[in-house]
Amino acid sequence: MPILAIIISSVIFFGSLILIFSEKINRSIVAIAGSVLMIGVGKIMGFYSEEAAIEAIDFNTLGLLMGMMILVAMLEPTGFFEYLAVLAARASQGKPIRLFLLLGGITTVLSMFLDNVTTIVLIAPVTILISEIIGVSALPYLVAEALLSNTGGVATLVGDPPNVLIASAAGLSFNDFLVYSMPIVLVALAGATFLLQALFKKELSKRPRRSKAVMKLNPAETLNHPENARRVLIVLGGATLFFFVHHFLHIEPSFVALSAASVALIWVQPDIHEILKKVEWSILLFFGSLFVMVGGLEHSGVLEIVVTLFQNADGMSPVLFGILMIWIVAALSAVVDNVPITIALIPVIKGLGETGMDISPLWWALAFGAGFGGSGTIIGSSANIIVATLSEKTRTPITSALWLKRGLPVMLVTCAIASILYALVYRWL
Amino acid sequence: MNVTTCMKRHVVSITPGTTIHEAAAIFVKKHIGLLPVVDEDNKPIGVIGMRDLLKLELPDFVNFVVDVDFVHDFGAVEDTRPPAKTLNKTIKSLMRPVITVDEDCGLLRAYALMLQQNLHDIPVVSKDGKLIGIASRVDVGVAILSTWAKGE
Repeated sequence: MPILAIIISSVIFFGSLILIFSEKINRSIVAIAGSVLMIGVGKIMGFYSEEAAIEAIDFNTLGLLMGMMILVAMLEPTGFFEYLAVLAARASQGKPIRLFLLLGGITTVLSMFLDNVTTIVLIAPVTILISEIIGVSALPYLVAEALLSNTGGVATLVGDPPNVLIASAAGLSFNDFLVYSMPIVLVALAGATFLLQALFKKELSKRPRRSKAVMKLNPAETLNHPENARRVLIVLGGATLFFFVHHFLHIEPSFVALSAASVALIWVQPDIHEILKKVEWSILLFFGSLFVMVGGLEHSGVLEIVVTLFQNADGMSPVLFGILMIWIVAALSAVVDNVPITIALIPVIKGLGETGMDISPLWWALAFGAGFGGSGTIIGSSANIIVATLSEKTRTPITSALWLKRGLPVMLVTCAIASILYALVYRWL
Repeated sequence: MNVTTCMKRHVVSITPGTTIHEAAAIFVKKHIGLLPVVDEDNKPIGVIGMRDLLKLELPDFVNFVVDVDFVHDFGAVEDTRPPAKTLNKTIKSLMRPVITVDEDCGLLRAYALMLQQNLHDIPVVSKDGKLIGIASRVDVGVAILSTWAKGE
């Protein structure tokens, strides 16, 4: 009987994953159907139940994501993102290299604290505007923004969904990320920026025809609601302060995010229906459904088998094991969504921990692999897909071939940097 | 009253083989906003509007940035022209499906169609589908309003 449960639950999970990655059916629809099927089969065969499924859902992750989505949804209509991009354009005086560094820098910092998708959705259109009025191609800027947001997001707990998942599962605090992840990410960012500048040397050394046009962009006019922008930013700043101390106060990051969202809602009092429309419910449902499916795998005994398989690699040094993890997860994340990979690997790492292995470095290996791997292909991360889709509606579309020439090197370099630093940091193990 | 009472009977039209460049010259010379595209039997098979040509010159960001108030100088895009390769393409590649009215179409129906489909001009065809005229919103609107003055 357990063998049958193991086979059927694996078929449901991997069948759903294949359907998700084939993109024939919407991923949230597949995930909901898969999780319902998992519970149904689990009940009949006796390995899973509704209660167990609810327990498998990590509400911390969902709460944190929802809180941040509400805050960003309130910041979006104020024009704050356009404001930053216009300031960058003016500061660059229309000089390509400076514009490249400034727009890249803004995107990086924003993506550390906000959802990458939102950051890119709001920065990319203004980027196209700025490059068109000075008379240069928008391609280097758009590609760099996506790649830097993939890289920068790994730095903080709230920067990227895999980090939120890992932090919640491993009990890592916001400050743990600042100590263990950010320094490595900063080196990776420097490497990525340097590499991108070299790869786009030809485009960036071309003199713009009308660089002075950026000086006539008026930042003040981009702010539709300066007062609302001020309020939401104050709340976001306050939330960040609480993120720094959340583990001393024994509160979860999700509580901080949802509290901040509620304070902002009370202070700004926006049209709540408009705000809730901008919350990406399909993503939250997708996460919830994946948790339920992976919970089924756990209860049927599949994950136990995977853990045993990994244990056979006992002879391998832990550092090598971690580095291998970075590269394998990165290679997977380059071609498929990193969220299902992370959700599936978390219980495996936990299981390895129960066998006595020191798993604390492995969490970071998972975070680096999942985050940096997304840069590899045009479909590797949501940010990549967004700039590519946007550029398709312009005269100079980004092709997947171009991405392999620009994005793949960035993935390889950031993963290499992460591997070297990882080896240096954990060599005494 | 029907649409034939107010339409212009002298219609400037082009064939699908006309180049974009030639079409632009006709717009300039005739000072009009819409050119019906007809086949050899003078039956409308599409339309090309002045705005379709202008779209070729509009910068990409106009499609993405909703409010361009803060952009006080369009800079480099202000003096770009569509490349020669684009201008030498035929109208067939750019034309849109045509919406026509029959010669016995009532004025109010013609006006409602133009309003709903966001058309500034509408070609009028005879019973056998041949292009016989074209009416603008102003032509149709004025014809409707004139019935008020007559007290009909």
